[in-house]
Amino acid sequence: MTTLEVQNLTRYYPQAQFAAVDDISFDLENGEILALVGPSGCGKTTTLRLIAGLDYPDSGSIQLNGRILTSKTEFVPPERRGIGMVFQDHALFPHLTVFENIAFGLRKRKPAQVRTVVSEMLCLVGLESLADRYPHELSGGERQRAALVRALAPKPALLLLDEPFSSLDADLRGEVREQVRRILKSIEATVIFVTHDQEEALYMGDRLAVFHHGKLEQIGSPEQIFHSSATRFVAEFMGDSDFLRGEAGPEGIRTELGILSQPLAVNGSTPVDIALRADDVSFEPDEIGNAVIIERFFRGAFNVYRLRLDSGQILHAFKEHTEIFPVGTRVRALISAGHPLVVFHKERVVS
Amino acid sequence: MQRIDAARFSSIKWNTLRINPRLILAAGLVALFVAIPLIYIFARALSAETEAWERLLQSRLWELLGNTLALGFVVTGGALLTGVGMAWLTERTDLPGRKLFRWMLALPLAIPAYIGGIVHLTLLRPRGGIIPLALENLLGQPVSIPGPTGFWGAAFILTLFTYPYVYLLSGAAFRRLHASLEEASRTLGRSPWQTFWQVTLPALRPGLLAGALLVALDILAEYGTVALMRYETFSSAIFIQLSGRYDRSSASILSGVLVILAILILWGELRLQGKARFTQMGSNWKPSPPVSLAKWRLPAFLLVFFVVSAGLLVPMTVLTIWSIQAFLEPETLASVFRTGSQNFGDFVWNSLWTSSTAAVIAVSLSLPVALFSSRFPGRISRFLSRFCQVGYAIPGVVIALSLVLLVNRFLPFLYATPLVVVIAYVLRHMPQAVRASEAAYNQLSPSYEEAARILGRTPLQTFFKVTLPLILPGLFAGGALVFLTSLKELPATLLLRPAGFDTLAVRVWVWAVDGFYTQAAPAALFLVIAAVVPLWFLLRQEQIFR
Repeated sequence: MTTLEVQNLTRYYPQAQFAAVDDISFDLENGEILALVGPSGCGKTTTLRLIAGLDYPDSGSIQLNGRILTSKTEFVPPERRGIGMVFQDHALFPHLTVFENIAFGLRKRKPAQVRTVVSEMLCLVGLESLADRYPHELSGGERQRAALVRALAPKPALLLLDEPFSSLDADLRGEVREQVRRILKSIEATVIFVTHDQEEALYMGDRLAVFHHGKLEQIGSPEQIFHSSATRFVAEFMGDSDFLRGEAGPEGIRTELGILSQPLAVNGSTPVDIALRADDVSFEPDEIGNAVIIERFFRGAFNVYRLRLDSGQILHAFKEHTEIFPVGTRVRALISAGHPLVVFHKERVVS
Repeated sequence: MQRIDAARFSSIKWNTLRINPRLILAAGLVALFVAIPLIYIFARALSAETEAWERLLQSRLWELLGNTLALGFVVTGGALLTGVGMAWLTERTDLPGRKLFRWMLALPLAIPAYIGGIVHLTLLRPRGGIIPLALENLLGQPVSIPGPTGFWGAAFILTLFTYPYVYLLSGAAFRRLHASLEEASRTLGRSPWQTFWQVTLPALRPGLLAGALLVALDILAEYGTVALMRYETFSSAIFIQLSGRYDRSSASILSGVLVILAILILWGELRLQGKARFTQMGSNWKPSPPVSLAKWRLPAFLLVFFVVSAGLLVPMTVLTIWSIQAFLEPETLASVFRTGSQNFGDFVWNSLWTSSTAAVIAVSLSLPVALFSSRFPGRISRFLSRFCQVGYAIPGVVIALSLVLLVNRFLPFLYATPLVVVIAYVLRHMPQAVRASEAAYNQLSPSYEEAARILGRTPLQTFFKVTLPLILPGLFAGGALVFLTSLKELPATLLLRPAGFDTLAVRVWVWAVDGFYTQAAPAALFLVIAAVVPLWFLLRQEQIFR
């Protein structure tokens, strides 16, 4: 069942060159986790704040469970939206204890009921013993969990998370991420969360929405986003792709590495770019090859080689850790994908 | 780019997020309140008869300008040198007793400069001063030592009681300075001395400029000390015009010029400050290791001890001795506690209630301005906030003059009531309240307020449940500062008080000018102690004083 419907959402800031959010539309299913991902300044946080009612759009509408929250005639203030939010800096009220913070959103309820809900929430994230602490007495991970249950306590129809893990140390981040995903899934929460980290988006999201310059570039499952990127930007941002220039012809795509036979949705003799990840490229040492090794990065189980083709084009290739070649070795690079590759013509996908 | 269809959306009430028009109105009214005296003074100055202008231009104006500027330059320079020196010695070296010195160097702020001036004058006066007399008795012949009168006397006293501004601001800057900055400079081939001039000092610049600004504006506004030392500046000339000759046209002209001078200084500071809002990285902060003074330990100790003695220990000791003497002489004691219809309790009460009322009003009025400028940053809000800080640049005598004229003309029922004194305090010290409230708001992440809204609270509930409790310490700090400076304010109180309405500051001044030092001492001591309380609270807010 569809929970959230966002239609043609647009937000301009004065004096800005581009719209911060440019004609964004998407739906969200009940119990789904949607990750909004993109580089900083791409409009993902603005979208989140528009949904929360912390900012107002220039046009577009937002509906939650059939109720209009924002449209050209309606604007429900944030306190009446029934939406929960976890802030990037957690925004736990420093003058209130953990208990009081969680109880803050539980209004017009009997004290006994408040106590039940709060202890339920503390239990959910294992903070029972810390109810009387103040936020500054908590560790980063504990603060994170307290902020999460404070937002969950009023049972919001939708939970928004704004870069929730960015303030945590790297070693803690992975652990907290797993916990949070488990908790959210266990209570079947409907969630939108914002991140600039593609790895985090792939891990957390049931679906991903990739933002760029205020536009929604692509929305889909992690696999779709990763393997069949809709735009060159998505391929570049999500998977560290190199782009090999080629020319589409009747026999296939002519490239520096030979002819790649793959059906394309373009007419003959069109310049195209083929997205190549390091696992799609291989090479053999060859005195009369077409490339030279310019750098090697040790990655534990494998090595990444940076190759420079004779045209100057840079590609990356994986090799097992047992196969070591010195920098400067002349090699013959080749495409070894074993699956259809994503091909772009002027930023849009044509494969 | 798509055109924004503004008309379509104009009918919606964005009651949550759009700037509340009532807030703009409130902030605007506060700015207007602050502006009126200023505008009025300029209007009066410009409408003064040409004859008055000519008379002033021919004689007094240039002399006064020269006097005021000379004093301003020398004292600002002296305060910078003393303040930075003391801050460096107590923050960055292994000076013995530096923890105690940190406190003692800040405390002269609680002593009004004219009280310090009275003490030093009594001690060092060339004829009849206590120290010259003692030396004469000891050596059997008159000895000439430099006395604290005239230009150098005023400069000495004012430097002694204004350097704490620079000391506190540069001390805070020294404390926040990253060790890595100086270490980086050393690894890039600079000597410690070069590092100090090329890295440390430039990094302190914002604090130094802010301190220098406070000192310079203080000098422009100073009345008590310069009158005591018989050195004439704009402020004292205006005071004389107002209290003695009742020549309001001349006073207005002088005030107009003085305010322009002050605004130029304020503007100069803004220009120099420029974009130099140096940010420091928060994490990995570590203080630099203290510099070892080695063989300079003793001279450095003596230097700091001299400053602390002259600025704090000597005045406090002398005031205490005089107070004891006053209590031992029944006659003096009687006049301390009863002067005309007033007794000691009345002075104390008058001082406390006027200053604290001014503090409460100034902080309350600063709230809409600070909220507007910190939550809706933009040209209008920045202008309003800057405008409310112009009070810094209006010396007490000028505020007094404009209030005398305004109240006489438009609000005669307020004339000769203590309320005018309170209004003067509010106008004069509004900037401190605005700055403190703005700092409090700016330190509060908007996400707290947003979180409260998301959790179901209305804007008003959010303000009282979340915003107010969190900014309260900052508001207290602003209030304490207004209270402290109002307590010390002399010229405006002297000119505006109703007959028979004495505050501690006024009583001390009146008695001291008449030469009744022992009689003035208990009141002076009480005034200093009352000023130490808010100062102590303010210093405790600084980490290093905990």
